Amino acid sequence: MRIEIVVNGDRYVKEVMADLSLLDFLREVLGLTGTKWGCLTGDCGACTVLVDGEPVVSCLQLLRQVEGRDVTTIEGVEHSGELDEVQAAFVANGGAQCGFCTPGMIMSTEALLRANRSPSESQIREALSGNLCRCTGYSKIIDAVLQAAAERA
Amino acid sequence: MAEVFAAGSIEEVVAFLAGHRGVSLPIAGGTDVMVDKRNGRVHPEWLVDLTSLEALAGIEFREGGKVVRIGSMTRIRSLELDPVLGRRAAALVEAARLLGSVQIRTMATVGGNLCHGTPSAEMPPPLLVHDADCEVAGPSGRRVMPLVDLFAGPGRTVLEPDELLVALELRLPDSGVGSCYLRQTVRWSMDLAGVGVAAAVEVDGSTVTKARVALGAVAPVPLLVAEAANALVGTELDAGAAAEAGRRAAAACSPITDARGTESYRRQVVAVLVERAARIAWLRATGSWPAGVPAPANGVLPSEVR
Ligand SMILES: Cc1cc2nc3c(=O)[nH]c(=O)nc-3n(C[C@@H](O)[C@@H](O)[C@H](O)COP(=O)(O)OP(=O)(O)OC[C@H]3O[C@@H](n4cnc5c(N)ncnc54)[C@H](O)[C@@H]3O)c2cc1C
Ligand code: FES
Ligand code: FES
Repeated sequence: MRIEIVVNGDRYVKEVMADLSLLDFLREVLGLTGTKWGCLTGDCGACTVLVDGEPVVSCLQLLRQVEGRDVTTIEGVEHSGELDEVQAAFVANGGAQCGFCTPGMIMSTEALLRANRSPSESQIREALSGNLCRCTGYSKIIDAVLQAAAERA
Repeated sequence: MAEVFAAGSIEEVVAFLAGHRGVSLPIAGGTDVMVDKRNGRVHPEWLVDLTSLEALAGIEFREGGKVVRIGSMTRIRSLELDPVLGRRAAALVEAARLLGSVQIRTMATVGGNLCHGTPSAEMPPPLLVHDADCEVAGPSGRRVMPLVDLFAGPGRTVLEPDELLVALELRLPDSGVGSCYLRQTVRWSMDLAGVGVAAAVEVDGSTVTKARVALGAVAPVPLLVAEAANALVGTELDAGAAAEAGRRAAAACSPITDARGTESYRRQVVAVLVERAARIAWLRATGSWPAGVPAPANGVLPSEVR
């Protein structure tokens, strides 16, 4: 099957298996390995990317269904080599330890901050409830999101 | 590996499903299908993509807002964020908010939630108490049936493999109505209901004139429990009436013991949640609940409304 798709602003036309997931396409076909291969059942959020600005778990997203739509992955978050506010806040606050959950956490945060410029702590917890972290205990992640929101406002 | 078929009309999709019975499976948001496929629970040769069927999409208010038609491809996230439904079908929006994560709700559809036939699914109880009908399309045309008749057993509906759920239709009386959905889970989020309960009441003055109570996760199919609802009708939803509705609901269900709770625990939770959900529905119907504010999932009221 031929697929045409925009990822991080670049248009790709590729020949792929018809029932490929968006996650496998990003990692195996485009080599964008920032998006992580975690549970593959929609539970952990490590594979979160944005489709037209909305967060989805790419492991359960049939590639074919996002044909022609605009996909943003963690690789598309920086601005010309500089970390964006969310990435920088995760670094500054110790919001990443092993880093496995971090791309997904950041993509969920990007989606949250697009919809809500100054989220409360409970709104942040709610928005990140589909992103599991085995390392940080979450508090530092919440701090990072609060800081990123403050910097963007 | 499966091939993907996509088409722009319901008729084309139904014709394709009819020509590929047993080897084709509709895919909506894919949050169940992709997991089932990976687990080997389903082995379709064809995935039939419903995303380009405009006729299945969208929330549409009709008859001056007295009726709402919810297309089967409506995303759970769209239900959650709909301000009119938030006021007029609170139970539905409450259930939507509790389903999965933001990512799952962005992908998952109401039709997929119903058609997967999961006994603990979030959408059936609130839709049942809002008296939903469902419209089905098949090779011989369209039919409409009460939603309660859709469910056939765990993981099963009455739909033929070549039938599609098109839309749900709910009546939304403009005043004097309130509803609520509560659920018991082991974890606060990203968990499936051990018990799901919805209640809706219509109130004249302060007397309940109509009521519905529905249960999820405590029987092979979602249940509408008329006996429980009848305990509320004609009352001012005092503590005694709410407790009686809870007892009747607990008696009417047939829960199993599994990782989410034992049979007897689940029955007790049904009684408690029905009591609380009925009470919150009544507060909403009588205008004593702040508009658009969801109830806490376990129904324990904040002190300012208690
Ligand atoms: C991590 C995770 C957490 C979850 N949490 C919850 C939860 O808390 N509560 C809950 O209720 N559910 C939960 N779910 C399941 C929920 O996401 C699904 O039930 C979802 O609503 C199904 O919708 P879908 O569009 O993704 O369906 P799909 O997976 O696309 O389809 C589901 C089934 O319905 C059929 N189908 C879909 N649309 C139609 C149609 N229009 N006509 C006929 N057949 C159709 C498909 O063939 C398939 O059999 C969770 C899932 C995941 C992965
Ligand atoms: S890998 Fe997709 S949610 Fe875990
Ligand atoms: S930093 Fe290790 S899983 Fe979150």
